[in-house]
Amino acid sequence: MPRIPTATLVRAYQENSLLPLLLKECRSLDSARNELRWLRERALRDSPSSSRLAPGARLGWRTRLRSMCRQRSQGVPLQYILGDQPFGDLEILCRRGVLIPRPETESYTYEAARLVRQMALEGGGNSTDPTSATRPLRILDLCTGTGCIALLLHALLAPHFKHMQIIGIDLSPIALNLARKNLDHNVRREALHRRARADIQFHRADVLGRKASSIPAVEEILSHYALKSGLADISVPAPRIDLLISNPPYISTSDFRNGTTARSVRLFEPRLALVPPVGFMGQDGDRSEDVFYRRILDLSLKVHAQVTVLECGDIMQADRVVEMHRTMTGGSRCNFNVEVWPTTEQDLAAHGFHPQDGSRCVIIHGGRDG
Amino acid sequence: MPRGAPSTPANAPAAAPDSGLSPVLLTRARLLAAEHAKLSDRLAEAFDAKVAKRAGEIAPVTTVLKEWESANESIAELKSLLEQPETDEELRSLAIEDLESSREALPTISDRLKKSLIPRHPFADLPCLVEIRPGAGGDEAGLFAFEMLRMYTSFCSRRGLRPTILKQDVEDGAAEDRLTEAVIEIEADGAYDIMRTESGVHRVQRVPATETKGRTHTSAVSVMVLPSFPESGSGLDSALNFEDPTSDYYIDPQEVRVEKMRAGGAGGQHVNKTESAIRLTHMPTGTVVSMQDERSQQANRRKAWQILRAKIAEARQEAREQELVQLRRGAMGGVARMGRGDKIRTYNYGQSRCTDHRSGITIHNLDGVLDGGDGLETVMESVRTWMADREVEAMVVEERAEK
Repeated sequence: MPRIPTATLVRAYQENSLLPLLLKECRSLDSARNELRWLRERALRDSPSSSRLAPGARLGWRTRLRSMCRQRSQGVPLQYILGDQPFGDLEILCRRGVLIPRPETESYTYEAARLVRQMALEGGGNSTDPTSATRPLRILDLCTGTGCIALLLHALLAPHFKHMQIIGIDLSPIALNLARKNLDHNVRREALHRRARADIQFHRADVLGRKASSIPAVEEILSHYALKSGLADISVPAPRIDLLISNPPYISTSDFRNGTTARSVRLFEPRLALVPPVGFMGQDGDRSEDVFYRRILDLSLKVHAQVTVLECGDIMQADRVVEMHRTMTGGSRCNFNVEVWPTTEQDLAAHGFHPQDGSRCVIIHGGRDG
Repeated sequence: MPRGAPSTPANAPAAAPDSGLSPVLLTRARLLAAEHAKLSDRLAEAFDAKVAKRAGEIAPVTTVLKEWESANESIAELKSLLEQPETDEELRSLAIEDLESSREALPTISDRLKKSLIPRHPFADLPCLVEIRPGAGGDEAGLFAFEMLRMYTSFCSRRGLRPTILKQDVEDGAAEDRLTEAVIEIEADGAYDIMRTESGVHRVQRVPATETKGRTHTSAVSVMVLPSFPESGSGLDSALNFEDPTSDYYIDPQEVRVEKMRAGGAGGQHVNKTESAIRLTHMPTGTVVSMQDERSQQANRRKAWQILRAKIAEARQEAREQELVQLRRGAMGGVARMGRGDKIRTYNYGQSRCTDHRSGITIHNLDGVLDGGDGLETVMESVRTWMADREVEAMVVEERAEK
């Protein structure tokens, strides 16, 4: 990490004595100024303006602001200090122990919603098309964390689909608890329609499907849904899914330690959400950071997912996932259309992606069985 | 609160309180009244939203014209009554009294008729954005720009207009009270009409806080009042609906380059960046808007679009007005209209005065202007009258030219 020039530090100090504290994490004066403003707004907002407390309690906001800046200088993520992060038009509550939603994930979610709508418009008239009154649009979100993807998809798609069923899966009870809180929080804020309470369910399951664990595998949860919805063909192990989306842990143990992963992320965000478990036996010589993808691709084939959207750490990882999918489908790519997104210059710029660096997602269309 | 008495300078255009109305304006008013009668007949048969809207627009002209005509009629009647030799003394004295009051009322009615004839500004009913940027004068201009920001926010608060600061950029390394750019949003309908007197270059003359030798500096701050379009254009008629490709204010999204800040290095779960700056470029005009004030990407995007739409709409409207001015110029004998590039007002600290160069008004209580109170209100009102007079003048010239 490059040193901050002394001149910048001095200038920051002259402007506001709290800025140098923020500069440690922000690295640029512009960004530090923004964070200071957001923190100040929050400190003021949380001040007890109604004086149930002793007079002078309102003065406390300065103390509160200073302590928030101190925390920030130690590397505590801004979202844990403020307690939330905007995601689309939602306000996602953030707590220690659950991964903070990232802007790239927001872009992937918008793109996924766009694809689902496009698919519904193109498949109009088909009896299995999710716009029909009889069959709900089904979405499966694996490793849901705060629930941000599942909730934003509901916000974006509810105006276009009468019936929806969104299932969010996570291993962590802390995350599931927070995801349910977020559902409630955003319905209260009217950022989500009331029907979201019925349309979205969060369940605990092990996406890796480890035999030894007492936690159910994703298939068990899904077969329960298949029974409940009274599908004609019970022999089908799982109901058909229109969109399978996931932001699984994808950081390798070396990237977690060698400085690729920011210190603040490494120290304060849950390793469970970032690094796949070490010692889990992947297949076919998969890299340990890729183990979730094989399991999820396998599920995607089982549930005949129409669209699958998988967040990856970088272009190389995305390419490995594409290759993994190719071998799993026996090289028969005719039924599938697989792409890494974003790729075009316009998409990259419009969504704030660097031409080479940073995260990408893999989008798989198809999976129709005929 | 002490308030400086507005003085009327010698070069101010005369208010022209003559009872007579130019025949051109009168003909125009009669035409509109006839149109209104026709529209009302049609509305009696079947309701049509468009017809109703047009009828509503010209209804005030009809009402005021009726008042004007009945006032003139009664004056004529009273006059003939006085001329008749058989009128007895008692009736005569009553008639004289009535005639006087009618004559007194006539100029006011004429004035109202004139104003009702002025076409409403196309953005008059819209909320607005006020953009403040320091011009020449370095740090001092930035300091004064900040004071103007405060002046307008408190002006709005006093009038119950609820101002929101959309954007507030400060100079690098400078204190917070040195602006490089600010945008205030005033969400109330009709705010554009209230604020449009403020577009132009504001000049400040004072000894800056940074000046050590006590010299007076002159610096400038430019203010632009822009129309703010509601997020979904559906509530507006098609002329103002920016989503309608046939509208004058439509922006083709294909012509706007969207760029988000893109940093190199690891992304996704590896890092946790909190900034979400966005930049929009309208390629045909080169208009650039960047926004980074909000934590939410969506909010930054929306605000940037709002400002971009406002800027383009204002520029297009300005171009249209400029065209009109070109047409009128010959007829008006080369009188140019005040553009946004012109110096419109001076704030002089040494003399504690504020002078508006359009209406010619001077207020000798600078604080009353700078705190956004009655002083500012008085100045703005004088400019509103000035603007209306210019419109009437232009209208007369135009109609004469058409003949």
